[in-house]
Amino acid sequence: MDVALVCTVNGIVLSAIYIMVALGFALLLSIMGIFNFAHGAIYMVGAFITYGLAKTIGINQWVALFISMAVMGGFGLFLEKFCFRPFGGKVFEVIVMSVAIILVLETTVVVTIGGSNRALPAFIPGTIKFGVVSVSIDRIIILIIGAILLVALTLLIQKSMIGQQMLAVAQDRESAALQGININRTAAIATAVACILATLSGSFMSSLYYLGPFIGDGMLMKAIEVVILSGIGSLGGILAGGLIIGFMDAFLPVYLPNPLVAQAITIGVIIGILLIRPKGLFGHEVS
Amino acid sequence: MLLEISKLTKTFGGLTAVNQFEMTVEEGNIVGLIGPNGAGKTTIFNLVTGVIRPDSGTIVFDDKNITGKSPHSIAAWGIGRTFQLTPLFADFTTLENVSASAYLHSRSNFWRTLFNTQAYCRNEAHALEKSNQILDLVGLSEVKNELAKNLPHGYQKMLGMARALAVQPKLLMLDEPLGGMNASEITFTMEIMKKMRQEGMTILVIEHNMQILDLCDHVVAINFGQKICDGCVADVTHHPEVIKAYLGE
Amino acid sequence: MLKNRFLADKRKITKAAIYAFLLIILLLLPKLGISIYYVHILIGVFLYIIMTSSLRLINLSGQVSLGHAGLMCVGAYTSAIISKNLDWTPWLTIPIGALVTFIIAFLVAIPFSRLRGLYFTMVSLFFGMAVLAINEVFEKITGGQSGMVGIQRLFGVSKIPYYYFCLALMIVCLFIMHRLEFSRIGLTWKAVAQSHSVASSTGINEARQRIICFAIGGFFAGLVGAVYAHYYVVLSVTTFGFFTSIYIFIYMMVGGINSFYGPIIGTTVLLLIQPLFHNVIREKYIPFIFAGVLLIVLYLLPKGLFGLPEQLRLWTRKLRREEKTALQEEVIHRAPRN
Repeated sequence: MDVALVCTVNGIVLSAIYIMVALGFALLLSIMGIFNFAHGAIYMVGAFITYGLAKTIGINQWVALFISMAVMGGFGLFLEKFCFRPFGGKVFEVIVMSVAIILVLETTVVVTIGGSNRALPAFIPGTIKFGVVSVSIDRIIILIIGAILLVALTLLIQKSMIGQQMLAVAQDRESAALQGININRTAAIATAVACILATLSGSFMSSLYYLGPFIGDGMLMKAIEVVILSGIGSLGGILAGGLIIGFMDAFLPVYLPNPLVAQAITIGVIIGILLIRPKGLFGHEVS
Repeated sequence: MLLEISKLTKTFGGLTAVNQFEMTVEEGNIVGLIGPNGAGKTTIFNLVTGVIRPDSGTIVFDDKNITGKSPHSIAAWGIGRTFQLTPLFADFTTLENVSASAYLHSRSNFWRTLFNTQAYCRNEAHALEKSNQILDLVGLSEVKNELAKNLPHGYQKMLGMARALAVQPKLLMLDEPLGGMNASEITFTMEIMKKMRQEGMTILVIEHNMQILDLCDHVVAINFGQKICDGCVADVTHHPEVIKAYLGE
Repeated sequence: MLKNRFLADKRKITKAAIYAFLLIILLLLPKLGISIYYVHILIGVFLYIIMTSSLRLINLSGQVSLGHAGLMCVGAYTSAIISKNLDWTPWLTIPIGALVTFIIAFLVAIPFSRLRGLYFTMVSLFFGMAVLAINEVFEKITGGQSGMVGIQRLFGVSKIPYYYFCLALMIVCLFIMHRLEFSRIGLTWKAVAQSHSVASSTGINEARQRIICFAIGGFFAGLVGAVYAHYYVVLSVTTFGFFTSIYIFIYMMVGGINSFYGPIIGTTVLLLIQPLFHNVIREKYIPFIFAGVLLIVLYLLPKGLFGLPEQLRLWTRKLRREEKTALQEEVIHRAPRN
C-alpha cells in the first residue's frame, strides 16, 4: 500500500516532468513543423545555469531558477530568429541545425564545467511523512508546481489570444497567416515557452536525481516517446501521453522483478497503440 | 456501355455531396458533366476513380464492378484522369512526367531492370517512343525538357492530359480541362478531344465552359449532388432546372 | 548540335577519369604506407557511405527515416548471433543478416506505409528506439547493455583484407543503388514522392512502392551492420542508437540530399574531421569543428557540399559583376565632361 503511494507520487512527478519537456518539443513540432532535437540540450543548459547561479555564485535557488528561465527564454527567442526562421520551416535543415546546437551546447558545458555528474541541492530540503511513508518535500513541490503549471498552460493556450493563435498556426499555417496572425511572433513565443518549460523541468529533475552534460539526451528520448504516443498536432494529448508513460515508468520497474520486462511492456504498449492509431492517441493532420 | 453508375451516394459528415446519382457513358462518346460549383462533379470523379469510397451505389466499368476499389487498380483497368488543380510531378521534366505515367505499360520486372537487360531496354525505348508521341499530340514537344513547375498554366493543363493519356485508358476522365486557358488553347484542346474520339477513346468531361457542349454527344447536369437532367445537348441547355441552377430564378 | 554532343562526351570522359583516378588512389593507399589507424577510419567511411546512400535511397520515395541505425542493428545482431550460436561462417551469416533485415524492414514498412511526412518520420524514430529496447529485453541472447564480444572475424586479424573487402562492397552497393535510382524503378519512386495521388492515378501502387523502397534500403543497412559485426568483433547497443541514425541523416544532408554523390561526400568529409583534427587540437574541442562545418553548410551551401562548385561559381560571378560595375563607374567619372 505504501509502495503504491510512493509510486503514485513518483508517477505524478515523473509525468509532470515528462509532460513539461514533451510539451516544449511538441509545441515546436505542431506549430512550426520542426524537430528541435536540441530540446534536450536546452533542458540541460537551463539546469546548469540554475546550478551555476545557485551553487557557485550563491544566489537563492528559486531566484536562480527564475533567472535561468529568463535567460533561456531569451535564448529561445534568439534560436527562433537566427536558427529556425532562416530556414523557413524546412524540417531537414532544422534537424541539422538542432544537432549543431546540441554539439555547441554540450561541448561548451563539457569544456567549461567538466563532464562529471553532480547534484543540484533540493529546492526545499526535508521530507514529509504520510503514515509510514516519507516523501521528500521537493517531490511534493514539483508535483504541485507541475500540476498548476500544466493547468495554467492548458487554460492559457485555450483561452488567451496568443494561445489561440498558436493553435491556429498549428492547424493550418497558411490560413493563419492570411488571417493576419503574425507567424514569426507566434513561433518566437512558442520557442521561448518551450525553452522555459525545459529549464524548469531540467532544474527540478537535477535536484531530484543528478546533473550532467548529457542528461538532455535521455530526456529527449522520453519527450519523443511521449509525443509519438500522443500524436502530433494535439497539445492536450501530451497530458494523456505523459501521464501514461510517467506512470508506467514509475510503477513497472518497482512491481516487476525484471526491469527489462518493464521496458518490454512500455514498448509493447506504445506499439500496440500505434498499430490501432498510427498517428498517436490524439494525432491529427498537420498541414 | 462502358461506364454505368447506379444510385451513387456519398455523405461527408452532415453534408450529402452525392445523392443517388445515376448515369451511363457509351463507348466512343464524349459525355459532359455540368453543374455549378460545389454540385459534386469532382466528388463523382473521385468516387469513380477510387480516391474515395461511396456510402452506397455501384460503379461498373467495362463489365467490372469497380466500386470502392483502389485508384491504382482502377487505372490498371483502363481509366485515366486529370485533376482540377493540375497537380503534376513538379520536379520532373515534361517528358519525365509522361514517361513516369507510362508505368503500367513499361513493366519490366525488378531483376530485368536491375541488370539493364535487353528486354528492359526495349521496354523503355518503347515507352519513350509512346511518350514522345503523346507529347507531339498535345503540342508539348518543344518543352519536353522543361521542368513541369516552370510551364505556363495552359501547358500544365495539357501536360495533365498527356499524363492521363500515357495510361492508355479506355475511358478518359477530364476535370475542367479548359480551365484558365485562352481562346486558342481551348480550340486546340477541343481538337485533341475530337481526334481522340475518332480513335475510339471514350471521354467523360467536367467543364464549366459551355463551349465544351459543342463536342458532347450527351450531357448530364447535376446540382447539389443530384442529377437534374440527362440527355442531348439541346434538351439539357433548355431545361428549366439547369437554367435555374446556373442563372438563379 | 555537334557541339553539345562533344561536350557531353567530354563530360563523360572526365567523369570516368575521375572515378578511375579515385579508385586507383583508394586501391593503393594501404600500399602507400598510410597508418593502420587511417585504414581503420576508411573502413568505417566505406561502410557508412553505404548506410547514408541507402538512407537517401529510401528518401527517393519521399520517406525520411530517422531510425536507419535500427536496421543496421538488426543485421549486425542477426549475423553475430547466428554465427556465434550455430558456429556458421560469417560469409554465410552476413547475407542472412542482410536478408533478415530486408524482411523485417518490409514487414515493418507495411503498417508504416499508412503514414506520411512528419508522422512517418516520428514512427521511424520510434522504430529505432524499439529495436534497441527489444535488443535489451532479449539480453540473454544479445547481451543487452553489455553487448556481445568475441564475434567471429570475417578475415584474419590484419585490417588490410577488410579494407579491400569494404571498398569493393561499397562500390558494388553504390553501383546497384545508382542503377535503381536512374532506372524506371527510381523514376517511379520519385513520382510517388512528388504526388501520391497523381502516381496512383497512373496505376502506381504507391503504398507498395514505398514499402519496397524502405525494404531495399533496409537490406543495405542490414548488410552494413552484419559486416560491421564481423569486423569490429564487438557489438553494443549504443552503436546503433538514436544519434547514429541522426548522424547518418546529417551526413546525407551536409553532402546534399538532391544528388546521388551527396551522401558520399558528406559522409567522407564529416567522418574525417575527428581523425584529421585529433592531433591538431584537444579531443574535447573537436565537436566544435563538426558543428562549425554543419553551420557553414547550413547557412552558405543550401545544396550541401555537392553544390559547392556551383555556389562558388555564383559568388565569383557576383564579385566579378560588382567589379565590373565599379569599373564602369570609374570610367564614367573619369570621362571628360563636354
